[in-house]
Amino acid sequence: MSEYKITVGIECHVQLNTKTKLFSAVDNDAVDKEPNSCVSPFDYALPGMLPVLNKEAVHKAVQAGLAMNCKIGLESRFDRKHYFYPDSPAGYQITQMYKPIIGAGVIHLQGFDDVRINHAHLEGDAGKLTHFDDYSLVDLNRVGTPLIEIVSEADIHSAAQARAYAEELHRLMIYAGVSNGDLYQGNMRFDVNTSVSKNDKLGTRTEVKNLNSFRSVERAVEYEAARQIALLEKGEEVIQETRGWNDATGKTTGQRSKEGAADYRYMPEPDIPPVILTQEYVDKVASELPAMPDFYRNKFEALKLDNSEREAILNYPLLASRLAEVCDKNVKLAPRVAHWFSGVLLAEENLDKDFKLATANELTELSEMVEKSELSSTAGKDVFIQLYNKKNTSKTPHELAKEMNLLQENDEGALEQIIDEVLAAPECQKAAEDVRNGEMKAIGFLVGQVMKKSKGKANPGAVNKLIQKKLS
Amino acid sequence: MKIADKNTKAVDLVQAALAKAEEYKDYNVFISMNAEAALEKAKAIDEKIAKGEEVGKLAGVPYALKDNYSSHEGNTTAAAHILDSYHSPITATAVAKLEAEGAIMIGRANLDAFAHGGSTENSYFGPTKNSADNTRVAGGSSGGSAVATALNIVEFALGSDTGGSIRQPASFNGVYGIKPTYGAVSRYGVVAMASSTDTMGCFAKKAEDVDLVMSIMAGQDKKDSTTLPDYWTKNLNEVQPSKKKIGLIRDCFGEGINSEVDEIVRNYGKKLEAQGFEIEEFDMPILKYGLAIYYVVQPAEVASNLSRYDGIRYALRSADAKGLDEIYTMTRSEGFMKENQRRIMIGNFVLSSGFYDAYYLKAQKARTLLINAYNEAFEKYDALLCPVAPTPAFKLGEKTSDPLTMYLEDAMTVPASMAGLPALSIPAGKTKDGLPVGAQLIGKAQSDQLLLSIAKSCEEA
Amino acid sequence: MSITREDVLHLAELSRLSISEEEIEPLMKDLDSIVSYISQLNELDTDGVEPTYQCFDMQNVWREDEIQEMEAKREDLLALATETEDNQVKVPKVL
Repeated sequence: MSEYKITVGIECHVQLNTKTKLFSAVDNDAVDKEPNSCVSPFDYALPGMLPVLNKEAVHKAVQAGLAMNCKIGLESRFDRKHYFYPDSPAGYQITQMYKPIIGAGVIHLQGFDDVRINHAHLEGDAGKLTHFDDYSLVDLNRVGTPLIEIVSEADIHSAAQARAYAEELHRLMIYAGVSNGDLYQGNMRFDVNTSVSKNDKLGTRTEVKNLNSFRSVERAVEYEAARQIALLEKGEEVIQETRGWNDATGKTTGQRSKEGAADYRYMPEPDIPPVILTQEYVDKVASELPAMPDFYRNKFEALKLDNSEREAILNYPLLASRLAEVCDKNVKLAPRVAHWFSGVLLAEENLDKDFKLATANELTELSEMVEKSELSSTAGKDVFIQLYNKKNTSKTPHELAKEMNLLQENDEGALEQIIDEVLAAPECQKAAEDVRNGEMKAIGFLVGQVMKKSKGKANPGAVNKLIQKKLS
Repeated sequence: MKIADKNTKAVDLVQAALAKAEEYKDYNVFISMNAEAALEKAKAIDEKIAKGEEVGKLAGVPYALKDNYSSHEGNTTAAAHILDSYHSPITATAVAKLEAEGAIMIGRANLDAFAHGGSTENSYFGPTKNSADNTRVAGGSSGGSAVATALNIVEFALGSDTGGSIRQPASFNGVYGIKPTYGAVSRYGVVAMASSTDTMGCFAKKAEDVDLVMSIMAGQDKKDSTTLPDYWTKNLNEVQPSKKKIGLIRDCFGEGINSEVDEIVRNYGKKLEAQGFEIEEFDMPILKYGLAIYYVVQPAEVASNLSRYDGIRYALRSADAKGLDEIYTMTRSEGFMKENQRRIMIGNFVLSSGFYDAYYLKAQKARTLLINAYNEAFEKYDALLCPVAPTPAFKLGEKTSDPLTMYLEDAMTVPASMAGLPALSIPAGKTKDGLPVGAQLIGKAQSDQLLLSIAKSCEEA
Repeated sequence: MSITREDVLHLAELSRLSISEEEIEPLMKDLDSIVSYISQLNELDTDGVEPTYQCFDMQNVWREDEIQEMEAKREDLLALATETEDNQVKVPKVL
C-alpha cells in the first residue's frame, strides 16, 4: 500500500470577527442569541433590498491575506453564486469568483513542506438548518457573516501535514486578530479534498466537507486515503463525490449530492461597486500587522525548547508575546518561564479567558530567584501559580515567596547551627561515621535530615558542602 | 401641478383623483387603491396648512405608484401572483422622500409582472388599456402609471425603467416619461428587475413637473451603493446646452419604423431647430446590437434577482407542494407569469457553464463598445434625438403570441439603458387615428436636467 | 434548432420551474428564436475589449462597521412566512 501517494487540498472557511455582517449593519455575533435575532431585511432577502459593504471586513481580509504571505488583489469585486437551498435566502451567495481580494501565498509548516495558497476570497456565510423528523427549521443569524475561504494548492501529502496546515492557519488568523478562532462555534471550518495515486497523475478526489476540528481533519484524510486505496486494490473505482464525516464512527459516508450537476451560474454582482486598494494602504496594513508565529519561532530558537513545547506555547499569542518580552530582558531566564507556561499553566489549564498573565518583570524576577537558588525549583512553580491568584496581583514574586515561607536558607551561620544539631543526633552517628570513612553516599541521609529540620528551606547544595567540610 | 394651500384643499385634490380613478375603472389602471389612508393624509395636511405649518413641496398632490415600489401602504405585488399577498415591512427610499414632501399615493398602478414586458399585458391582474384607444395596449411595463397620468387621474406617477418601461408607455399615452441617469434615484425597496440598468423615474404632463418630482426623489442613498452624490440640484432655467447641437440618429428612422412615427419625431426636430438648435443626422451602427446585448444581460440579472422568490420566507407557497423541491418548482411555476419564466430560463442559459463567455461576457464587452459610441456622439451633440418606439400603441393581444416581436418594441429604448444614460420621452404629436407618439431625447450621463430644459423650451414654443 | 428538448428540461431544473409536457414544445420554439437572435453578437469583434458590468466607475462604496437600527424587526420578517416555529422559518424536511 505504501507506494500510493496521498494528495490533499484544503478549503478553509474563516469567519471574520467584525462587529456587523459583510453586507448588512446587524450584529455579527450570534453566539447565545435567539434564532433570527441578528437578521436584516437584506439577510432575509426581501424584495428590493441591497447590499452595503462593510469596510472593516475588507480591512480584516487584507490583514488575513498578509498574515498568509499572500499577494493582495488591488482590484477585487464580488460575484453571485446561485443555488437554491433554504440556507441561502436570496438564492445566491455573494462571493468573489473572478477577482478575489487575496491572491497567491505560502504557509510555512514545522516539520513539513510548505503549502501554497492558491487564493482566498471574501464572501457571506450561509444560514443554519436544524433537522427534525419530518421538517427543518431555518435560522438566518449566520447569513452574511463575513468569511474568507482559503483555497490551498494540492501540496499536502499526509494526514499529519493536513493537520499541521490547519493548525497553522488557525494560529495565523488568531495572531492577525481577524477571527475569534473558536472551532466549536464554527469560526473555522475545513473541506478536505483527498486523492491517492501510484503515479504522477492525480487520482479521483473526494471532498469531505465541514470539518470543525484539527483532529477530524487528520482523521478524515487518514480514513479517505485508506478507503480509496482499499477500493483501488480491489480493482474498484473512486467516485468523485462529496462525503460526510461522522466524528463518532470516524468514517466518511457518500452523500446523495448533485455536485456533479451543480452549475452555480456565477455572475458579477451589479449592486456592489468594485473595491480598489492602493499599495500604500496595503503596505500600511502590513506594517501594523502584529508579530506572526514565525517571528516568535525565530526568537525562541535561543531557548532550545523542544518543538511540542514551543508550539504549545505558540497556540496562545499572549503567552508567546510575554515569553518574547522575557527573552528581551534576559534570554538565560526565559527557558524556565517557558517550562512554567507549558508545564504548569497549560497543563493545569489555568488559561480561562479572563486570567491575568504575570508581567514580564514578575516572571523574570521569579526565574532569577530560582536561578540564584533563593527558591527551589518546586517552590518556584508554587510561587508562579500564586502569581495568577487574583488576590496577589499587587505582590512581587519575592513578597509572595516570603509570605509563602519558601525562601531558601543560604546563611551559613544558620545552616551550621542546624547541621551541628543533626551531626550530634544519635540516629545520625552511623552515617556521619561512614562519611568520615569516605562512603559519600551516606551524605544524602544527613542532607535529608538537615532539609527536614529546615522545613525544606535549606539550600541542599550549600548543606552538602558544609557537611563535607565538617566531616573531612 | 396643483399643490394644496390655503385656497386648495388637499382633501379636494385627493377626492377628485379618487373619483377619476373610479370613472376610468375599466381601463384597469390600478391593482389596489389607497383611498382611506390617502384621505387621512390629506386631512392632516389641510390641518397643518390651517395652522400655518410647513407641509412640503408636493403637499396634497395625489400620485400613482407603480406596484413594484415597496411601502407600508397596500401589498407590493409587482403584478405577480407569487407576490400578490406580500405586504412590505419597509418603504422604498424614493417613496419615503415623496411622502416627506406631502405627496399622497392614491393607488398602486398596474405593470407587466416584475416589469417584464412592453404592454402591461403580462400582468396577473389583466392588461391596462391605452388612454387614447381602449382597444390598444397601454405600453409597458409601467402602463398603469402612464395611463393614470394621461387620464388626469393623478398629477404624476412613479415608474421604473430598465429597458424602456417608462419611456415607451409615456410615448403610447402622450405624457412625459423620464428614465434618469443610472444611479440618480435610489433603487432601495423597489422590486429588482435587472440591477445594472434599473432606474426609477416618473410620468407627468409638464417638463417642470417632472423636474420637481425628480429633484425630490434623486440623490445619494446609504442603502443603495450605486447612487450618485449631489444629484438634481439645479434650477431648470440655469441648465443650458453648450453646443446647441442635437444629433438625429439616422439608424432609428426609415425602414422598420412606422411612417407616421418617423414624421412626427422629425417634426419635433424642426421644433428644436426653431429653438435655435442645429439638427445633424448621424449614424450609430452599433445600435443594431443594442437589443441583443440587452436580451443577454437583462435576463441574466432577472434570473438572479428572481431566485429569492422561492415560497419559503414570504408571500406565495404553493398549497399543493409536498416536500422542499415542490415548494420551489410549484410555487415558482404557479407564481411567475410565462414571460417571467422565459426570461429566467434565458438568463440561466446565458449564465450556465459553457455559455457564459459566449453570451454573457460577450454581451458585456459589446456593451463597452456601445458606451464608447455614445461618448463619441456626445463630443459633438448636447443630446440625441430618435423615436421611443417603432410604432404607436398596438392592439391588445397583437404581439402576445411571439415574445421576440414584443422584444423588438424595445430596440430604441434599451441602448440608453445599457449605457446608463438619461433619456426623456416627450409627447411629440398624434397619428391620424389620434394615437400619441413620443420623441426620445437621450443625453450624456448626468445631463438629465438639460434634457428637461430643452423639452421645456419647445413646450413653451 | 439550437435549443433541444433536453436543454429546456435542464434550464427548467436550473430555474426550479416545473414544466408540463405540453409547455416544452412552445418553450423550445421561443427560447430558440431568442437565442438565435442574441447570437448575432458574434458578428461583433470584441477582442481586447473590457467588459462593462456597471455603468459608472464608482468604487469603494462601503460603510463603517457599526450596528444600525433595522427598518424591520424579526417579528415583522417572520410574520411574512407561511410557517414558523421557535422563531424560525419552517420547511419540509431537507434531505
